[in-house]
Amino acid sequence: MSDALTKLKQAVLEGDDATAAATAQQALAEGLKGLDIVNSAIVPGIQAAGQLWKENQYFLPDVVMSAEAFSAAMAVVQPTLTAEGATHTGRVLIGTVAGDMHTLGKSIVIAMLQGAGFEVTDLGVDVPVRTFLDKTAELKPDILGAGCYMSTTMLSIKDIIAGLQERGLRNQVKVMVGGVPTSQEFADEVGADAWGKDALDATAKARQLMRR
Amino acid sequence: MANATLDLIQGLLWSKGLHIGQLNPGNRPMAAMMGVPDMVPFAGAQSHDHCMTVARVPARKFYWDAELHISTQMAVQRWYEMDGYTVIADVYNWETEALGARFIYSDNAMPTPDVSHPLISSPADLARLKPLDPTKGRVPFACELARLTAERASGLLKDGFFCSPFSMMCNMMGYAPAVHAMRRNPQFAKDVFAFMEEGAILPFVRAQAEHGHLKSFTGPDAWACFPNLSHAMIREWELPSAQRLKALGKKNGWDIKAGSVAGDYCEEDPAKFDKKLMWDSFDLINEFGLLGMKMVLGAMGRTQEWDPLWIKEYADTHGHQPVFLGLNGRFIRDSKPEAIVAKVRQWIDVLGRNGKLVLNIANIPADTSPLNVFVASRAVHTLGRYPIARDLSQVDVPLPRFTPFDEWLKGQPEEEVIRRSREK
Repeated sequence: MSDALTKLKQAVLEGDDATAAATAQQALAEGLKGLDIVNSAIVPGIQAAGQLWKENQYFLPDVVMSAEAFSAAMAVVQPTLTAEGATHTGRVLIGTVAGDMHTLGKSIVIAMLQGAGFEVTDLGVDVPVRTFLDKTAELKPDILGAGCYMSTTMLSIKDIIAGLQERGLRNQVKVMVGGVPTSQEFADEVGADAWGKDALDATAKARQLMRR
Repeated sequence: MANATLDLIQGLLWSKGLHIGQLNPGNRPMAAMMGVPDMVPFAGAQSHDHCMTVARVPARKFYWDAELHISTQMAVQRWYEMDGYTVIADVYNWETEALGARFIYSDNAMPTPDVSHPLISSPADLARLKPLDPTKGRVPFACELARLTAERASGLLKDGFFCSPFSMMCNMMGYAPAVHAMRRNPQFAKDVFAFMEEGAILPFVRAQAEHGHLKSFTGPDAWACFPNLSHAMIREWELPSAQRLKALGKKNGWDIKAGSVAGDYCEEDPAKFDKKLMWDSFDLINEFGLLGMKMVLGAMGRTQEWDPLWIKEYADTHGHQPVFLGLNGRFIRDSKPEAIVAKVRQWIDVLGRNGKLVLNIANIPADTSPLNVFVASRAVHTLGRYPIARDLSQVDVPLPRFTPFDEWLKGQPEEEVIRRSREK
């Protein structure tokens, strides 16, 4: 592996976003293909961070910093991927429900999903039910992810799923939910297809949903 | 016993075996913290949005009207037969809102900061901020709520509240930029901490102290739970900040306790539960010295899956500390009554036989079925009667029957305020 890729993987692992962006740029300048940079440095970097999280060696600040470095490196490499004809594991549409501004968990989930090869469209925060439905109809994602972080706002997930049903979209998309107040029981109750306990779990569940 | 001091003394005497009169919901928690009460208390829970939902009170009045706010929380907590009141509003928001941050307000949820438009993104933003003006935002509401709480509520937490620094930093900057600054630009982070301590918290505490003649203040810090921050980061940033605030308060004759629940063991994945890390959380919480005494605190974590023997071992080997343990809010919301009773039975069996056990629900989710809260309350009071039954599996906890809230409310002191708030 080139020095730039080794350094890039380490920068993502250590959450050094400036170095991650610079070394991704350097790797491209050295003539490496975007897809190779992603597969041999950026994704292994975020996966190594996920492994350390699992082992209680990394805590949330470490994972967040890694996710930021991952995003910084991906932003550099992303434009080359389409030209190289990269394929995706699946397409995810994700957002935080209306009335809820929390974005932390969603950001990490997005980084982990992208690391697993998903194409992710982020609707942002405070997303009205109608937007979830309109964008699902328009973009036809494989998975719709709805995050909520307050026990008052989580109730709108029921409306999203009911809306999908009403518009005849429910059978075309898998629905995942996540966020602090949610649980498997809640996911079952509202009729979601999966609950993501954390970003790693969400990514694993998204892969499972794609196999169904 | 109406006198609060006498009430407290009675609780303390009870805990030492001098049973004068009967304990009441107000002094039972203190008796339990110190020794053996008449029954394990079910202490008041942080439950503002749940109380609002149960009482069908509109959010746009509930979070602005101190009389309505305290009346609603006290009524609902009394309806649930809780021991003492825990009147905690959306305490994380007040300073940030008064400093000018953009907030989202809705009809059925608490105000929430719009971190997509953060108040502080750079040192220049910080430099532009003026110290908190106590006439701005909902500071007057907070001051009046603190005054009413000190006047009316009983229980362990009658303080004025403020938002502790790390949680405030998350509200003002967003979590990721906050930890980014702490890791990559520590001088900026230090400047933010200094502003929060002296430019936000101190004027806010002063306003509450002057309005309600208060002396004691608690600053919750849920964002600083573990693993949101590592223990090392909490010790590097939040603990020294709490010590600085304590010293600043002392100069003014106030007891400022920042970092409440900082370090709380909130690991979500049972596969990652680690005794050493959990115990380090317990140590850390004691370093903050919350109620002025050492105790084992489990508040917001996935406590239903903790091994209670780890808790008992820590308490026993650290000077027989009292255990203050929260039933997880999602567990209460999502569980069948039998599961809630089984958990309470296990905890009392393992942790409560010699007193020094207080149970509560940490942050009741808004949509929790009242039946489940009643199940928890009745289970604690039924199974937790001293002396604890030798075989708790033989003690039956029937499914609770309870009067619906609106019917119960008739004739209660809070009735008029709550009913009036429902009118358009």
